[in-house]
Amino acid sequence: MGEDKKMKRCPVTLQPDIENLLQDLSADDFSSASAEERADFIQERKSVSYWKDAWRRLRKNVVAMVALGVIIFLFLFAFVGPMLIPYGYEQFNKGAENLYPYHYTLEDQQRLDAEVAARTQSETLDVDQLIAQAKAEAEAKGEKFTKKDEAVIKAQAKVAAQTASDTPEADPNVIRQELGIKKHLFGYSVDELRRKAAGESVFPHVFGTDMYGRDIMVRVMYGARVSMAVGICAALLVLVIGATYGAISGYCGGRVDAVMQRFVELIYSVPEMLVVLLIATALKPILTEYVNSGGNSPMKAFVNILGPNLISMFIAFGVLYWVTMSRIIRGQVLQLKQQEYVTAARALGASGGRIIRQHLLPNCIGQIVVTTCLQIPSAIFLESFLSYLGVGVSAPLPSLGSMATDALSGMYTYTYRLIVPSVILSVMILAFNLFGDGLRDALDPKLKK
Amino acid sequence: MSKYFAKRIGMALVTIFLVTCLTFLLMNAVPGSPWLSEKSPSEATLAALNAKYGLDKPVHIQLMKYLGNLLKGDFGVSLKMQKNRAVTSIIAEMFPVSARIGALALTWAVLVGVPLGCLAAFKRGKFTDSVLRVICTLGISMPSFVVASVLLVAFAGGLAVLKIFPTIFDPALGWRSYVLPCFSLGFYPMCYTARQTRSAMLDSLNQEYIKTARAKGLKNVKIIFKHALRNALIPVITYLGPQVAFTLCGGFVVESVFSIPGLGRYFVQSIQNRDYPVIMGTTIFLATFIILMNVVVDLLYKVADPRINLTKGGE
Amino acid sequence: MSEQNTEKKLLEVKDLRVSFFTPAGEVKAVGGISYDLNYGEVMGVVGESGSGKSQEAYSIMGLLQSPGKVIGGSITFEGQDVLAFSKEEMTSFRGSKVAMIFQNPMTCLNPVYTIGNQLVEALRAHDKTISKADAEKRAMEMMEMVGINNVEKRMKQYPHEFSGGMRQRVMIAMGLICHPQLLIADEPTTALDVTIQAQILELMKEIQKKTKMGIIFITHNLGVVADICDKVSVMYAGKIVEQGPVDDIFYEPAHPYTMGLLRSMPRVDAESYERLIPIEGTPVDMLNPPEGCPFAPRCEKCMKICLKKMPPYVEVGPNHRSACWLRVQEQMNKEEN
Repeated sequence: MGEDKKMKRCPVTLQPDIENLLQDLSADDFSSASAEERADFIQERKSVSYWKDAWRRLRKNVVAMVALGVIIFLFLFAFVGPMLIPYGYEQFNKGAENLYPYHYTLEDQQRLDAEVAARTQSETLDVDQLIAQAKAEAEAKGEKFTKKDEAVIKAQAKVAAQTASDTPEADPNVIRQELGIKKHLFGYSVDELRRKAAGESVFPHVFGTDMYGRDIMVRVMYGARVSMAVGICAALLVLVIGATYGAISGYCGGRVDAVMQRFVELIYSVPEMLVVLLIATALKPILTEYVNSGGNSPMKAFVNILGPNLISMFIAFGVLYWVTMSRIIRGQVLQLKQQEYVTAARALGASGGRIIRQHLLPNCIGQIVVTTCLQIPSAIFLESFLSYLGVGVSAPLPSLGSMATDALSGMYTYTYRLIVPSVILSVMILAFNLFGDGLRDALDPKLKK
Repeated sequence: MSKYFAKRIGMALVTIFLVTCLTFLLMNAVPGSPWLSEKSPSEATLAALNAKYGLDKPVHIQLMKYLGNLLKGDFGVSLKMQKNRAVTSIIAEMFPVSARIGALALTWAVLVGVPLGCLAAFKRGKFTDSVLRVICTLGISMPSFVVASVLLVAFAGGLAVLKIFPTIFDPALGWRSYVLPCFSLGFYPMCYTARQTRSAMLDSLNQEYIKTARAKGLKNVKIIFKHALRNALIPVITYLGPQVAFTLCGGFVVESVFSIPGLGRYFVQSIQNRDYPVIMGTTIFLATFIILMNVVVDLLYKVADPRINLTKGGE
Repeated sequence: MSEQNTEKKLLEVKDLRVSFFTPAGEVKAVGGISYDLNYGEVMGVVGESGSGKSQEAYSIMGLLQSPGKVIGGSITFEGQDVLAFSKEEMTSFRGSKVAMIFQNPMTCLNPVYTIGNQLVEALRAHDKTISKADAEKRAMEMMEMVGINNVEKRMKQYPHEFSGGMRQRVMIAMGLICHPQLLIADEPTTALDVTIQAQILELMKEIQKKTKMGIIFITHNLGVVADICDKVSVMYAGKIVEQGPVDDIFYEPAHPYTMGLLRSMPRVDAESYERLIPIEGTPVDMLNPPEGCPFAPRCEKCMKICLKKMPPYVEVGPNHRSACWLRVQEQMNKEEN
């Protein structure tokens, strides 16, 4: 009864089941709720930590995960691969020069040789026939068949025979096609095929060999190893220098910051690639001379182990490439410096170094990780550029860049020598770039939600 | 603003000076004199040569002399590749070729990269965006020598029958011989520009003034092209400076691959031949060029952004 | 409401629901709100950040950003169903019939175009026939109306040459340039200094008197509401918890949240020893809102029923209703006596 009247008093109500709502109310419902009941009421969402959240987002990013898979694969390829292959990167395999990354079986090769021989034979037989024919023709016409005429015919036949081997009839490729000879994966030299036939286990030249008979796969593996090592070391070097410089500059502020930033501006306006090229050019002979100058100091041994090429490259990186990182870190530090917890730490008497380590760096770690990760591909890029120009990693150590240069001379015949290192290099840089992008998307708090 | 001009140019001059000194000192520290590598000349000849080129004096005096000569426009003479020819005249002959190819490459890179970046931004998350993203990431992952060699193989091998574009540079063929070098040189900057434009555009589309424009009832086309693009292009200008440097350095490789008689190829050859005066001269020249281009781009940026007051003072 | 009233209705919102479909789940930003606004009426929408007040306004303008979506209810403007508009209709509706000004005038103007350009553009987007010179003249008139001096020169200036208050004046001028029937002001004074706030409020009041347009004034500041509004809706966690004429809300608040808001507001006429009392606790998680009244956990008068069921609206005065079980209880007690 009373319910009906109430309904009229609240005309704008939108709850569809208003009657039910009001029907089964007991007096108890209007007693005040206890603290526990209230506490139970709120179902707190589980708070997800920054890293867990980032990892969840990264895992969802298919492209980044594929890129990570490729990076891991390339890593194994570069660091574990050479152990599995019985060839060294500097090993000249005699009799296995200029192998393609495919081979024909021994029987097929014999069939091919026989066929080619048969065809060229028939061509040479024709010469005598032609001369006899010409002689007969000349005599029939009452003309004299001179030695000169004979020579002309012979020369013509020779040219014809030579071109014949280039023409479809005698071209090995065409004959192979006609005979139905198929290519088989991986390169083997004739000698190796024989040994294989004899029951020996012979490791194939998966990507073929170069003009000295060096296995290209092993060389590519070492090249990838050099590239990755250079990329990662350079990135770490940049990280250490840039982070330290940026953190100090941002933390100290004032005049120190002004001077330090002026210096950063200066380095910033230097054309890096040019100067890196210059440093790499000049440092290599200097360091080589230093190593060869005799005497034994630990420094010398160190330079010797890494090789003057790599060291000069690292120096170039260390001198020039840290500025971006230092700017990012400085910006972060300046922003974080205003935050209360830093003031609090200061008030508690924490030292400057401690504040940087404990409070500032952990808070800009996301940006640091992303920048470092994206530094790797650019370092690999630069290494290959320098090696390509012949001032980076150089013989005997292979590098993807220098392999590409070496391949240029025979690039039309042995295209794979150019393609293999180029593809691996590009895939490597691509994977690092894509993974870095994914990491940025995952760690960037601006994209959160 | 004029104060800014002055500061920026002063900074550039300091940088040029430092790069010059660095170049000189590095080249000077390289062991062995440039004419030692071939047949070794007699002591007397060596001394005479050193005296002639001033190599017997202390380093700082040599540096001062070199700097003085630079100011007079004297970059020294080539010691090996074109013996006794002035480096200045080599640069004057070869740089225009490099500059033309670089400028063409950069032009197409920007003209194609900016629209592609916008397209990717509008289609964010869609198929087009993904495809463009992959292409552009691939583009910034392929060193120019990879692009150049792939083109070389393609156009000298498989597509050679078409005879469209020559793989060996020949100015007599006109525009056609520029196509492949410019493409390989501009591919990286194009992809880079597209990526930067995309992110700048997305950034711009997320700004509040876009909300205002929508609330005003503007059409989508107008919002994108008038309000978002103009703002997105301003940061894209800043990336032009580094791209100029990158394109010039990429030219070293591309000119070698396509046998272009430009400064880049000559520079690489001079490095391989250890022709130090040429290396020094070219480095200093290119560094100066790049630094000055950076200043120009920087000023362009300031002009494009009305928030920076061009008349003196400001707020 | 009676039938005569419907004729005067400018805007009618019924059971509007807006959800954001985030990767973590559906967030019900607006959970079924209803109100109507007559011609020339000023309504305040009060609530803390995240209560859905801005999203509700954006859905009127069709400005909801993905992943936000209107999932239910209706919006009727001058008898037209706004939610059924096509893209083109929506574009011409925005700016001409309804205008909106935003919280932060510093970022709402495009930095690379002059003020004049942006004003003229707003006008010409809807009036295709007007000449450029006429449009400029109108723009200058509007600028003078919102109290900007030296308009000739100001038209040619860029946003960064304007102060915050001046920019908000420009925003108002831009909103009003097409003579809209309704202005939605989304916290227009929040980002400004207190003295500038007062000036902008004064300006809006004056303009409202002159133009007789309807205003929806979104704010988290009850003090602003008292100054300018005819009626007030108090929002909490995506729902309107109390709605009524401004005086009723201030002098006879019927919902504990409104009372809390009033107690936490500094007053000029307060005795010096009076303390401000904050509302304890934090708002509910909109990702999985509880069954009962969302304010219950923070409510000092919380009852058992509050935790179980959402209360219905109860009319506590003329045009004044509140969604609170306390009021339901009161009504029931009244019935029984």
